[in-house]
Amino acid sequence: FGVTVGPFCHRCRMEASCLELALEGERLCKAGDCRAGVSFFEAAVQVGTEDLRTLSAIYSQLGNAYFYLHEYAKALEYHHHDLTLARTIGDLLGEAKASGNLGNTLKVLGKFEEAIVCCQRHLDISRELNDKVGEARALYNLGNVYHSKGKNVANAGTHDPGELPDDVKNSLQKAAKYYEENLSIVTELSDRAAQGRAFGNLGNTHYLLGNFRSAVLAHEQRLLIAREFGDRSAERRAYSNLGNAYIFLGEFETAAEYYRRTLQLARQLKDRAVEAQACYSLGNTYTLLQDYEKAIDYHLKHLVIAQELHDKIGEGRACWSLGNAYTALGNHDQAIHFAERHLEISREVGDRSGELTARLNLSDLQMVLGLSYSTNNSMMAESHAVEKNLNGGRPRGRRYSMENMELMKLTPEKVPNWN
Amino acid sequence: QPLVGGQAAELQSKVVPSKQILHSDNMEMEPETMETKSVTDYFSKLHMGSLVYSCTSKRK
Repeated sequence: FGVTVGPFCHRCRMEASCLELALEGERLCKAGDCRAGVSFFEAAVQVGTEDLRTLSAIYSQLGNAYFYLHEYAKALEYHHHDLTLARTIGDLLGEAKASGNLGNTLKVLGKFEEAIVCCQRHLDISRELNDKVGEARALYNLGNVYHSKGKNVANAGTHDPGELPDDVKNSLQKAAKYYEENLSIVTELSDRAAQGRAFGNLGNTHYLLGNFRSAVLAHEQRLLIAREFGDRSAERRAYSNLGNAYIFLGEFETAAEYYRRTLQLARQLKDRAVEAQACYSLGNTYTLLQDYEKAIDYHLKHLVIAQELHDKIGEGRACWSLGNAYTALGNHDQAIHFAERHLEISREVGDRSGELTARLNLSDLQMVLGLSYSTNNSMMAESHAVEKNLNGGRPRGRRYSMENMELMKLTPEKVPNWN
Repeated sequence: QPLVGGQAAELQSKVVPSKQILHSDNMEMEPETMETKSVTDYFSKLHMGSLVYSCTSKRK
């Protein structure tokens, strides 16, 4: 009889160790510590396992962890490994999941056509397996890809919502169709959380399409569900989106009310970037209402937070808005102060269009003050030079809007949802 | 300067923010949903059984 070499053989110890590391990775990711989770999953991969299903689950979770950490190239790599593995072992459900995750990652990377192929595969397999939950999730993902695709092209131009080229409209209409299909399934399944997500994104799609009444209806549904769940972040999102829609319906008072609620919740949630955005929206809404004192109050609040967050673009926008509001009040000294600050910041961030706007504002203010304001005498000449460069030598009408200013997105970090 | 008053009024009348600035990019999307797998999904009794089997068979 042979000699006993301990209670377990080497391979069993390896498998157990790989599994333990992966379980710890799962625990950490569920607790919201993706960075630490990644370390454990990578250690588990190093140890290795002969069980390809276990390995597939590790790759999938590594992909998701990197996705939530915004490291999309790595997310892509691991979801791709997972897809290959799922196909190798003939795990159809695993293949559907990997395709969906790969599709979402490709969408974020702006590879919309590839994303559509992957999300469609997720949908096809789910239908083949008669998996209603999977089908609904794939439809939501497809809606998101078409929404992003449409928005991406729309952002390349400068249109108001509703004034869109055909290809953009086409993508957004497809997105709306997928959200509607998703909604019919998740309603049947009584999945309120999924309904909330679909209503929110459907509302945003209607908004881009210029269907502002439909956008309001969808966001009101989203708001109801957010309150049901006590989800204050979702509630705040709904208020903000409702405010945007009411602006385009010309109902500025209602918009202001929703933005005020956005601001209140942003403060409760201690999210400074979102608070800044709400102040900016309120400043603009009060400008539309021609209540310039209130507009100034909110733009100053926005300015303070933008400086605190070292957001130069936001600071420039605040100064431009403040210059405008003070001009409207006839307070030319303050108007000049902020127009100069706007010019300085535009130069600092290399924003040629903002620089031109600031110059034109300053030269107008100078004219109003009967040139009593002493400044660089070559300003007018410089303005024309900048304007010529921007417009291929053809001067154009003055525009008092920020349409061409490069705006920086101030999106709050997404909270990973592992459930 | 008699023109100044008129110019000031003209300047004030120009202060109309474009709705575009509100539309900027502050539309707030819902979070993506990712599909999840867990090692415990797959670590079935079958797999445990095969491990134990290979373990005991190696020890004979």
